[in-house]
Amino acid sequence: MNATPELTLLQTCLMAVIQAVCVVLFIFIIVPLTIYAERKVLGHAQDRLGATRIAGHRVGLTGWLNRGMWRMGKVPFLSYWRGLPMLVGDIAKLFLKEDIVPTKADRAIFLVAPALSLIASVVVFAAVSFYPGALFTFPKFVPVLGGVPFNGFITDMNVGLLFILGIASVGVYGIVLGAWASNSKYPLLGGLRSGAQIVSYEVPLTLSLLVPVVLTGTLNFNDMTRKLALETSPLAAPLMAVGFLVYFTCGFAETNRMPFDMPEAENELVAGFHTEYSGMRFGFFYLAEYINMVVVSALASAFFLGGPYLLPFGLHRFVQDWPVLGAPNALWYVVKMILLLFVFIWVRGTIPRYRYDQVMAVAWKYLIPFTLVLVVLAAALRFAA
Amino acid sequence: MRTFLKTLFPVDIFKGMKLTGTHFAKVFATANRRKVKLHVTEEYPEVPVKLAPRFRGRLTMLKDEQGEIKCVCCLACEKICPTQVITIESGKKEGRKTKIPTRYDFEMERCIFCEFCVESCGFDSIILNHQFELAAYNREDFSIGMLGESQNMFGLTPVGKFSYSDED
Repeated sequence: MNATPELTLLQTCLMAVIQAVCVVLFIFIIVPLTIYAERKVLGHAQDRLGATRIAGHRVGLTGWLNRGMWRMGKVPFLSYWRGLPMLVGDIAKLFLKEDIVPTKADRAIFLVAPALSLIASVVVFAAVSFYPGALFTFPKFVPVLGGVPFNGFITDMNVGLLFILGIASVGVYGIVLGAWASNSKYPLLGGLRSGAQIVSYEVPLTLSLLVPVVLTGTLNFNDMTRKLALETSPLAAPLMAVGFLVYFTCGFAETNRMPFDMPEAENELVAGFHTEYSGMRFGFFYLAEYINMVVVSALASAFFLGGPYLLPFGLHRFVQDWPVLGAPNALWYVVKMILLLFVFIWVRGTIPRYRYDQVMAVAWKYLIPFTLVLVVLAAALRFAA
Repeated sequence: MRTFLKTLFPVDIFKGMKLTGTHFAKVFATANRRKVKLHVTEEYPEVPVKLAPRFRGRLTMLKDEQGEIKCVCCLACEKICPTQVITIESGKKEGRKTKIPTRYDFEMERCIFCEFCVESCGFDSIILNHQFELAAYNREDFSIGMLGESQNMFGLTPVGKFSYSDED
């Protein structure tokens, strides 16, 4: 964005590694918190408290404190958050459990599939931009990196959106291959459903992302968010709102979340595609599902809700002169992502699962024609202006 | 046309979202307050549970004001018990007109807590108390009676080895 100083190869590589580590850390902080939030939010929606304790009331310091405070007739301090250590327990359990490969499974593919699923969902963040520019510059006394800006994005590629969509659709291979390699009927059924569903929903998903692409005329992540926030006409706002709804709906299907969780379908197919998986290999699928949620929220908040700019739907141009709120801020981006993650959980607590034919009908009969109309309207708007 | 519009604008979904959202907001806002409690679950081991008045817990014998056993050994409870967990042996006592039980054995491991014994009792001499934490390590702990080792037919917490709220 700005006139960046010319970087040496060493500096470039180091920055890439540092930023990649930061993004991975960000993912592995926000994903367990999402899992915890899911337990809590679903619980509240059903008039429960969700996870409130990890073991007995006598385990650990908080257990003793809590007990004493209940005895004194008070609601204990932090009692609400006592389910939080459960995340550590979950991860420990996933690592410690036996890793079973079925005898008749296709061993190589069976072992590769979860990694494929996880990698595909993490690599997407290479093209996601949290902030269009340098978050801060390393001070001069830092040995190698003195004076190098720390950007809010890892790479600023021309075809960022294309890259994201391409990598994200690799994720389905993990599911389908894992299902096939398990050599068992339930995973196979789950995998087949998943393949059909994800391939179907990729069409309206991409078409709805075409709306911002057509409005801005670029595929660069930073350019898109900036132009959407500052340069599109306000007339595009309703269009983008509708596009957002469609995109988000497809996002549910892409991440196999609740209203469309055909691949798992735990009341029909045991656990769907990961029935035969155990231990950390199951954990990879589990993590990949949540990272995919984060990816979908990230894209939705960047392309429809304004990303690092405050106001959604291209309305930011009205406040761009305000002192603090007008400037782009990585915080807005993360907050919007978190709100969307909450909506993911909220919807899971509300809508029951669709039948398989209904899922396909929603995609092919309604969403695809609808998004086509949206794209045509967006094109008309762009070339009228 | 109407169904088409309904398909286009998912009103029902938003209605449902509003419902669950309201529940979430209410519970989330009051989760840490003691006076207002909008969730239905209990913080059981720490907070004693409120039981309904007619809760059917463990079988207990009652005594009257003089400390005399009220049971008169009519064997109504023994006869009506579907799982036959009650065994009564009757005896005599000086100065008492009715019979008095010398043995009243209650094998709780087979009891189904149907309360037929209490309903059949014409002298209100047995009740099901409100004790429900009845787990124990040994089978012998479930043999409850009036004599010797198992003389615990009158107390409130003879078994309950895992009672969280009473033990300390």
